[in-house]
Amino acid sequence: MKPPPFAYHAPTHLDEALALLERYGDDAKVLAGGQSLMPLLNFRLSYPSALIDINRVAELSYLRQENGQVCIGALTRQRTIEFSELARRQLPLLHEATTLVGHLPIRTRGTIGGSLAHADPAAEYPTVALVLDAELVLQGPGGRRSIPAEEFFVSYLTTALAPNEIVTEIRFSPAPRTSGWAFEEVARRHGDFALVGVAGVIDTEGEQCRTARLAAAGAGPTPIRLRAAEDILVREGVTEQGIQRAAAKAAELVEPDSDIHASADFRRHLTEVLTRRAIQRARERGQEQRA
Amino acid sequence: MSSTEIGESVEELTPKFVGARVKRREDQRLLTGQGAYVDDHHPPGLLQAAFLRSPYAHARIARLDTSAALTRPGVVAVLTSKDLVPLVKPVRAASKMREYKETSFPPLAVEKVRYVGEALAVVIAESRYLAEDALEWINVEYDPLPTVANAPTAAQPDAPLLHDEAGSNILLSREFARGDVDAALASAAVRVRDRFRFRRHATVCMENRGCLADYPAGTGELTLRSATQCPGLLRDALADLLDMPEHRIRVVAADVGGGFGAKSSLYPEEIVLCAVARRLKRPVKWISDRQEDLKTSTQAWDEIVDAELGLQADGTIIGLRADVTTDIGAYSIYPWTATLEPIQTISFLSGPYRMPHYRGRNRGVATCKAPMGPYRGVGRPVTTFVLESLMDRAARLLALDPAELRLKNYIRADEFPYKTPAGLVWDQASLTECMQKARDVLDADTTTRWRAQARAAGRWVGIGFATYIELTGVGSAIPVSPGMPIATGTEAAFLRIDPAGTVTATFSVAPQGQGHETALAQVVADALGVAFDSVRVICGDTALAPQGTGTYASRSAVLAGGAAIRAGQTLKEKALKIAGHMMESNPANLDIRDGQVFLRDKPERGLPFRAVAKTAYAGLRRLPKDMEPGLEVTRFYDPFFGTASSATHVAVVEVDTETYAVTIKRYIVVEDCGRIINPLIVEGQVRGGVAQGIGAALYEEVVYDDAGQLLTGSLVDYLVPTASELLPIEVHHIETPSPTTLGGFRGMGEGGTIGAPAAIANAVSDALSHLGIEINEIPITPEKLFRLVRAAEGTP
Amino acid sequence: MSEPNERSQTITLRVNGTERRGQVEPRKLLVDFLREDLGLTGSHVGCEHGICGACTILVNGEAARSCLMLAVQANGAELMTVEGLAPQAGEPPALPGKTGQLHPLQAAFWEHHGLQCGFCTPGMLMTAYDLLQTNPMPSEAEIRAGLSAVLCRCTGYQGIVEAVQAAAETLRARRGDR
Ligand SMILES: Cc1cc2nc3c(=O)[nH]c(=O)nc-3n(C[C@H](O)[C@H](O)[C@H](O)COP(=O)(O)OP(=O)(O)OC[C@H]3O[C@@H](n4cnc5c(N)ncnc54)[C@H](O)[C@@H]3O)c2cc1C
Ligand code: FES
Ligand code: FES
Repeated sequence: MKPPPFAYHAPTHLDEALALLERYGDDAKVLAGGQSLMPLLNFRLSYPSALIDINRVAELSYLRQENGQVCIGALTRQRTIEFSELARRQLPLLHEATTLVGHLPIRTRGTIGGSLAHADPAAEYPTVALVLDAELVLQGPGGRRSIPAEEFFVSYLTTALAPNEIVTEIRFSPAPRTSGWAFEEVARRHGDFALVGVAGVIDTEGEQCRTARLAAAGAGPTPIRLRAAEDILVREGVTEQGIQRAAAKAAELVEPDSDIHASADFRRHLTEVLTRRAIQRARERGQEQRA
Repeated sequence: MSSTEIGESVEELTPKFVGARVKRREDQRLLTGQGAYVDDHHPPGLLQAAFLRSPYAHARIARLDTSAALTRPGVVAVLTSKDLVPLVKPVRAASKMREYKETSFPPLAVEKVRYVGEALAVVIAESRYLAEDALEWINVEYDPLPTVANAPTAAQPDAPLLHDEAGSNILLSREFARGDVDAALASAAVRVRDRFRFRRHATVCMENRGCLADYPAGTGELTLRSATQCPGLLRDALADLLDMPEHRIRVVAADVGGGFGAKSSLYPEEIVLCAVARRLKRPVKWISDRQEDLKTSTQAWDEIVDAELGLQADGTIIGLRADVTTDIGAYSIYPWTATLEPIQTISFLSGPYRMPHYRGRNRGVATCKAPMGPYRGVGRPVTTFVLESLMDRAARLLALDPAELRLKNYIRADEFPYKTPAGLVWDQASLTECMQKARDVLDADTTTRWRAQARAAGRWVGIGFATYIELTGVGSAIPVSPGMPIATGTEAAFLRIDPAGTVTATFSVAPQGQGHETALAQVVADALGVAFDSVRVICGDTALAPQGTGTYASRSAVLAGGAAIRAGQTLKEKALKIAGHMMESNPANLDIRDGQVFLRDKPERGLPFRAVAKTAYAGLRRLPKDMEPGLEVTRFYDPFFGTASSATHVAVVEVDTETYAVTIKRYIVVEDCGRIINPLIVEGQVRGGVAQGIGAALYEEVVYDDAGQLLTGSLVDYLVPTASELLPIEVHHIETPSPTTLGGFRGMGEGGTIGAPAAIANAVSDALSHLGIEINEIPITPEKLFRLVRAAEGTP
Repeated sequence: MSEPNERSQTITLRVNGTERRGQVEPRKLLVDFLREDLGLTGSHVGCEHGICGACTILVNGEAARSCLMLAVQANGAELMTVEGLAPQAGEPPALPGKTGQLHPLQAAFWEHHGLQCGFCTPGMLMTAYDLLQTNPMPSEAEIRAGLSAVLCRCTGYQGIVEAVQAAAETLRARRGDR
């Protein structure tokens, strides 16, 4: 399990990185935290002719507030987000999800941009980006464009990113302060990718649900936004029946596969259970927020 | 067994270090990164090997062309089976067992491949990177053959044949019986039966296998460093296979990163590397990567057991009948053979109970999977799981307390030595004591009340017991793998006391974390009466060690410990004679303690042991008449039948009513491993064993699909439990010295793994008893529980 | 910056406080560089896909998998391996009373039987080191979660968890003294 040979570049500026990408076209791979790419190379499942290592592109590493949004540079480490006060206050869902990503020594290297670009449907960050309606900023030789998370995830490990583009930034609009959040997941072992995870952000007042946002991880080829379940909550409120019906709807919306760890049926079942748990916990947290 | 051997034991020992919680002396180097694992060796001129492995489960090799690979950068040689034929004999794991069909296991595939991962060729290059690059330039064409996917289909008469020479995929079928079990079961008041499945298991030592062979030009000497449990056994086998004088081969296993059985067999890579080093006269190293390890290290279990237990109305067991099918994988492994696991299951199935009528049948069936080999507990984990499940079901049917039902049926103290239906002899075991103490530790009444309250609140909680008895420290009466032509019943200790009075104790047992350097030093120090620090223990180097095989089958404490006691006593006697001569006293009045020789009745009179040691080498004039100089000895020990260890395990579990995750709330072990040499090490072994048992019970499974492809080829998919999945294990001891072994030691390295799957399965069945669910299969995954609960509730 | 090639590059880095240099092919894994080129064989290779944790070292003070980094990426970095935990220790045989030279984590692992075969130990120690620097007073559950980054097949983790608890106390006491 040793990687095949490749050329290696460690640009220090984004422009330089983009130029290199353009030069190699499809053949090059961007190397960020390496926590997904390096295993693929070691297994020889990927044979890039060149690696463009962006770890020295300092301009891609930041976490700041801008015009009411939280903007995170693509190279920002998961660990930085985990220990960021700003992330914890403004994006508590992202923060909670971060603690579920692998293990501390993985998060030391793993980046938010890498996680989104890798687009593993069972990963936490893509689901969080989806549920928070995040925007991804992509830069290519022709300039920048920004794309909502919902359009970014195309299929299993496939995104709207062009081969000559780099994810440079992720922008989150923090949820209203009155809302509650939860990331609920089931994994076989601590730190494993989830069998299923459900992220929720809801804003409630008593039993009334002002807004609800729900998405599932590990339950389809991409993270899946559970809009019809959200609608039920808003329509019926966070009553026992409303929650139950929303959760049941969520299980209908997902399109899970079977593998050696769980069948599609079981994943559907877990989607229902976790949706309910996520709604309940988000609601409790919302109540605490207000109190 | 002679009575003097028994007489020699215990009393002679004045335990001081034996029994003490001595911290391990291995640890200093291991904690500071100074261990010496195989891969840490980098001799000058080192070459590295990478193996080409079959992507097919069963195929004829139509073409194998290595010429392009040979021209790749850094490549020194590429070998296939054609090149090996003149260099090594094929491996054939022989057995005297009539019902066994012997087959060949070529180190590199000849004509066809029989499992995914089987090696066809080896590239030797200047680095592992370059060797792997060159693998991609070997041209192979395969003609796929029908997959022999699993034991039940492979056992069908019309199944495709894996080994033509055997004429059948059934490489073994065997039966053990006592009494008339059919009649007994027909007369039983209660019968319980089921089909049990014990899924395929991978050992996953954290250090992958690996070896380094060197045959310097002009020396005629081969040195193999290997991550092996059995350097002595390898040396003997390699001499034969390579047709070399045995004394020209040295096998070294320095620090080894776990073994658990998977490193106790002779592997193709070891043979190939020796042959290559001999041909190239350069050191060559091969370190398995994790993918190779999961594909090619011996796997365990994979058994289907149809079993039926009959009891009288009062709960007395009257008979057990079982049919076992064991999937032994593609090849019969040397030296244990494919019979090892199948035979042990039907040997141990009668368990710790009085069993008047019994019949166990087994078939060992070859399939397109990695070879089956020994794994911690061989045969005992599955049999304990089956029998203890049946006991709990019987208890439920009879409305008896499961612990009471066990207590009623245990072999009683006055029945030892007890001969089992399969002919094993249990010298003595503390079955009742273990169970009673386990119930005390559990606080059975309180826990039962807690269970009732939790259940009333809608929670699924359960308690499970399991008791086992295991044969350890196996001597020559019954070989570790019956029928195997090699001897595993003896071990030796070579003791040298140098003129400065320090002691070097050399053994051919070879640890992989069991702490022999510490534990055996404790035994030797006590046997001689010297300080612990003055004893150094060397293991795992055949150039230094006396004849022996290695560390496996819970034998080191008993066999090497016994040999250490003997050797220590021999030297002590001699030292006392010399001291008597020096002090002009009768040696019978002398003793040694804390490195000081003293008069028993006048302890203040004496001399340092050091002075005696110096005199031993000082020449005839200083020694008693007719005494030969020197203080060195090699003594052997054969415990003949071996000795029994026993334990009761208790698991308390909760099943999540929605996600079906099983959480273990408490885990208790009460065990009797005889005289404890070092409680720290014993508890570590028990806890580590239980951890592996928990892994087996809840997480771990090797999965092959119908095409024979391995679906659990990485640690992402083969789930070894982490610290978060485990809990503190409560370990308690009953310490009954074995009546039959020197020192009273019993083996204990495997027990934890034996009891855990059974105790956890019983606890889960108990937790789901309101649904009528009985667990008959491990691992107990959330997916399986989801299906069982659905079925029980009648949901589609 | 760098030449677009597969050929060797020169790297300079600090390992355990000492400046080291090396010539490496870009694809060479950092762990292989440490073990083969620098002779620091304390960091182990158990899986090369990030799961086992045996290769865990500190990169610029933080625990990371050295099997998932290229040696060239460590150019200019400050690394610490198990050999750097207690540079004065390591003189065998370990005799009672000589623990003073071990790092408190190492001493606690010894005391609490936190290792058997020792293969996971270097990764375990370096992970625990980082865990205690980010969370000096971890609960048992937090220790278990933190250590879930490293697989141990021998111990069942109990001795390891106890050792980390004990080391946390020693380290806290030490800081308190100052
Ligand atoms: C043991 C282990 C456990 C893990 N557990 C989890 C888990 O539970 N949940 C989870 O979500 N993840 C988990 N991961 C994956 C981890 O989060 C990865 O860090 C992440 O998926 C990829 O991020 P990276 O920065 O490491 O990217 P890399 O591995 O460097 O790259 C991944 C892919 O993204 C591309 N890429 C990276 N950055 C950019 C960019 N800025 N622009 C364009 N393309 C880019 C790369 O070319 C590559 O194709 C685990 C990993 C390991 C090793
Ligand atoms: S070798 Fe790096 S995590 Fe296993
Ligand atoms: S001590 Fe052997 S793997 Fe941890």
